[in-house]
Amino acid sequence: MKLSRDAREALAAEYALGTLRGRARARFQSMMASDRSVSDAAARWETAITPLAARIAPVEPPSRVWRAIEARIAPARPQAPSYWRALAMVSGGVASVLLAFMLWTFPAGNADPDFVAVLMAPDSAPRIVVSMHEPDLLKVRMVKPWAPKEGMGLELWVMPKAGKPRSLGMVKNGMGETVIHVTHTDPRVKDAVAFAVSLEPMAGSPTGEPTGPVLCSGVIAPVRSA
Amino acid sequence: MADDAARLESLLARSALGDRAAFAELYRATSSKLFAVSLRIVRERPLAEEALQDSFVNIWRRSSDYAAAKSAPLTWMTAIVRNRSLDIVRRTREEPDVDDALSANLVDESAAPARQAQARRDAHSIQECLEELDADQRQTIALAFFHGLTHSELASHLRKPLGTVKTHVRRGLAKLRDCLMGKVEA
Repeated sequence: MKLSRDAREALAAEYALGTLRGRARARFQSMMASDRSVSDAAARWETAITPLAARIAPVEPPSRVWRAIEARIAPARPQAPSYWRALAMVSGGVASVLLAFMLWTFPAGNADPDFVAVLMAPDSAPRIVVSMHEPDLLKVRMVKPWAPKEGMGLELWVMPKAGKPRSLGMVKNGMGETVIHVTHTDPRVKDAVAFAVSLEPMAGSPTGEPTGPVLCSGVIAPVRSA
Repeated sequence: MADDAARLESLLARSALGDRAAFAELYRATSSKLFAVSLRIVRERPLAEEALQDSFVNIWRRSSDYAAAKSAPLTWMTAIVRNRSLDIVRRTREEPDVDDALSANLVDESAAPARQAQARRDAHSIQECLEELDADQRQTIALAFFHGLTHSELASHLRKPLGTVKTHVRRGLAKLRDCLMGKVEA
């Protein structure tokens, strides 16, 4: 059995408005869980109606609320792979100061990049700056190279919002820039949230995923809105 | 406004990576707005504190889902808080099942193609559309949204028969829908 479109819309609207209560609300929630068209309708109505809440004057909650939240989210996510944890070390304050510094030191005359990521080593030292320039230039600028290691090189990874890292190939371990041609629509950069560099054999990771240690990583900071 | 949204979006992205400092900043940036939203619905501070706490734990766990949402970050978070608050009052202010008639309106429509009306709407257009409703419809819908009144609470507050109030809500929402679609297509 499915809801008629009119009934679905009417229920989704009352759900989003908040007048669908009691058993009817519970029943609608179970329909949302089992029927995509129902959950889509509810999401559409929520997106449409909820911005009205911007009118409500803020009320400061007591500090015990945050303490309770902190306690509930305290255990580290055990399934998080080490490179995600490496990313989490990038502290916002340090990164934004560095970002401002990097933008300031971009050679004059260069158009602003679309986004920048400052890749930092675990000791928070900036090592590489990745920036995206119209129409398809991804520039990988070395800040401080690593001591060369026989037969090993640096591989650049895109960290998507969900899923496995995607390789963008090897980058030069030396001062200067590596330029990679990537467009915004390239599947490798879809939903990218961060970049990371790992130590890999010169020919690239044999498995298609990072195998060596993550040397540096950094989240993407948009510079201008698309 | 746009800067705020971009900032919240990046805080959510970092929270999805397990960045607690970013999540703490997200809380500081939004908790007073969201607490007020919950307080309107649940009406008692201890319940609003519970709703806020549950919602933020949920936001932390679901932060990686945000990418798929088609709404602004604050809208996405507000919807989580409103839903949690409504679930909490359901427990404390259960009312008779007044929506049976509507819920019972089940037909087999599995053959009908789902019509997608996916589009971005913003606060501006919903505000405008609300202004376009009849005074009765606007008042009823605003009371329901901002104060979390149920159909029967609306009826007793407005001193109108339950059926009349439900009609105002339903027709008001239908008009809002037409208005929002018009704006989107325009």
